[in-house]
Amino acid sequence: MRLLLVEDDQALRDSLAQSMKDAGFVVDAVGDGEEGLYYGKEYPVDVAIIDLGLPGMSGMDLISNLRASELGFPILILTARDRWQDKVRGLEVGADDYVVKPFHTEEVLARINALLRRRGGWAESVFTAGPVTLDTRAQQVSVDGRAVDLTSYEYRVLEHLMINAGKVVSKTELTESIYEQDFERDSNVIEVFVGRLRRKLDPDNQIRPIETLRGRGYRFAIE
Amino acid sequence: MTGSLSARLLIAVSVVLALFFGATVVVLDLAFRHSAERAVEDRLDVQIFLLLAEAEPTGADTVLVPEDLPEPRFASPGSGLYGQINDASGELVWRSDSAVGVSLPMPASASVGEHIFFRSTLANDERVFVHTLMVEWEFDDGTSARYQFGVAESFEPYLAQVRRFRRQLFGWFAGLAVALVITLGFLLRWVLTPLRRIEQEIESVEAGTQAELSTQYPRELRGVTRNTNRLIHAERSRLERYRNTLGNLAHALKTPLAVIRSTLEQRDGVDTEVETQLRRIDDIMSYQLNRAAASGGITLGHKPVALTEVLPPLVRTLDKVYADKRPVCTLRIEDDADFYGDEGDFIEVAGNLLDNAYKYCDHQVIVSATAVIAADSPRPGLRLVVEDDGPGIPPELVATVMQRGVRGDERAEGQGIGLAVVREIVELAGGHVVIDRSPQGGARVSVTWGQGSAS
Repeated sequence: MRLLLVEDDQALRDSLAQSMKDAGFVVDAVGDGEEGLYYGKEYPVDVAIIDLGLPGMSGMDLISNLRASELGFPILILTARDRWQDKVRGLEVGADDYVVKPFHTEEVLARINALLRRRGGWAESVFTAGPVTLDTRAQQVSVDGRAVDLTSYEYRVLEHLMINAGKVVSKTELTESIYEQDFERDSNVIEVFVGRLRRKLDPDNQIRPIETLRGRGYRFAIE
Repeated sequence: MTGSLSARLLIAVSVVLALFFGATVVVLDLAFRHSAERAVEDRLDVQIFLLLAEAEPTGADTVLVPEDLPEPRFASPGSGLYGQINDASGELVWRSDSAVGVSLPMPASASVGEHIFFRSTLANDERVFVHTLMVEWEFDDGTSARYQFGVAESFEPYLAQVRRFRRQLFGWFAGLAVALVITLGFLLRWVLTPLRRIEQEIESVEAGTQAELSTQYPRELRGVTRNTNRLIHAERSRLERYRNTLGNLAHALKTPLAVIRSTLEQRDGVDTEVETQLRRIDDIMSYQLNRAAASGGITLGHKPVALTEVLPPLVRTLDKVYADKRPVCTLRIEDDADFYGDEGDFIEVAGNLLDNAYKYCDHQVIVSATAVIAADSPRPGLRLVVEDDGPGIPPELVATVMQRGVRGDERAEGQGIGLAVVREIVELAGGHVVIDRSPQGGARVSVTWGQGSAS
């Protein structure tokens, strides 16, 4: 999952970015609205955390600009102004939820996960598709009640595919959602991860959770 | 001094008019009576000379006066015109037929040729003007004798003349005064029209149907209207600037708090004591900043807040925030239910109440807004009721959640500062808050604005 964090206070940005990385997100952390808009437009962001009190382009303007660019990823507002007028304004220009400073990191994480979940059409924080269960809070996966041990990269790939269940996800998108750096992308790595996931989830080749669409990408195929 | 300007002006003008007209009437009356008296004197003078022309002295104490005098009134008794001639010793020599039984008072000490004019009362109580003339008559034989001619006329014609004059005078002046007062009344209305318009416009500004006073006023009033408008604008931008500053202050204070909390969380988990103190600081700041941002009910020139425009975005916001719970929120807004006050205040109050309702409800939230009759204001009041079907607020906790001022460590866990802020904002604007139980089973919070000083 790729997360865009726009917060002007460096200490808070670093600390929150670290917490989000620890939670398994690929984090782009920037300090102002212009940069935030650039990252939002140039990278396949899955979710954004935006502080409303930014210097230069305000958080409010950044959100409306992102929405005007038809970028629909969920946005969580961080605000110190806990007046309702500000909250309503923020959500009316296109944000999806807010957290008031000073926040608990757990709460931010819970809200982010809830936003991602709802975006994937999942009502619970535990995704269940046939025999496959993915708990986004515990970051645990099980098949038919049997825990499956995944590396964090494998988990991220599966989570991304399940959140976008039924949709085709390209290799590039998968790469960008699990790697932070813009390094030389080797699509073989994704193929390797998907191959391992298939073996771990479906050792007997019976449920076939992930489809390959040649030249286009992958799709999580269990209803 | 209070009362209306036009009443004061009308009273002042009436008093001045009454004094002026009164003085004029007195002076005119005096002048008229004086000249009427002079006319009587002149008339009597003429009568004396007529008598002189007709009379023929025949000796030292006899005078022959013909029976048929040119003035017929001398001949008829009680006609009001009397003639009399005395000799030098004051003895009666002749008296006209009209003067039978009355004796004219004649000052005997008069010198020859002296006219004397005076008022007197006759024996029959008739008041008269008397005119006498002392003459010396030379006879052919060289001797001479003195006679005193006297003529008197009753007051009656003079009084009738004065009465007639006064009647006419009062008639004319009364008519004139009435006409003047009526004209002045119209003039005052016209002159005071701009003032009346200012009064109406200020009422509209207060009621929020007008943003400021118009500029089409006479020169003398432009200063007042300009300064009033300046005051209205200053008040509005002051609140806006003030809120902005408070917002920046909140940002500047709470970001470091957020850093402290997240750093602590990362380093060694959450220390409960530090956490308690953090929450306390946060609560105090939120409460005081929100309280400071309340308008205090001063809302000159604000348009009434249309609830149909501000409540739906608030509900959409909360629907997003509570997307997992997604209670059914029913809005019942009466057509004439408008909030006459500051929009920020209203959203703050409604936001806190709805947030609580969403948080604690089972699956239903009902918001109703009705207009209420305001006690002493040109604007109607508003009652906003937010209820839910949750567990409700236990009666023994009602006082605590509404408590003014916040002691984070004393407040029960899970109780936001929302209701305390709501109460603060509402009471600053002269309203009041009541918490009880909803028929739905949960809490019901009723906020009423604009019902006088009820609290």
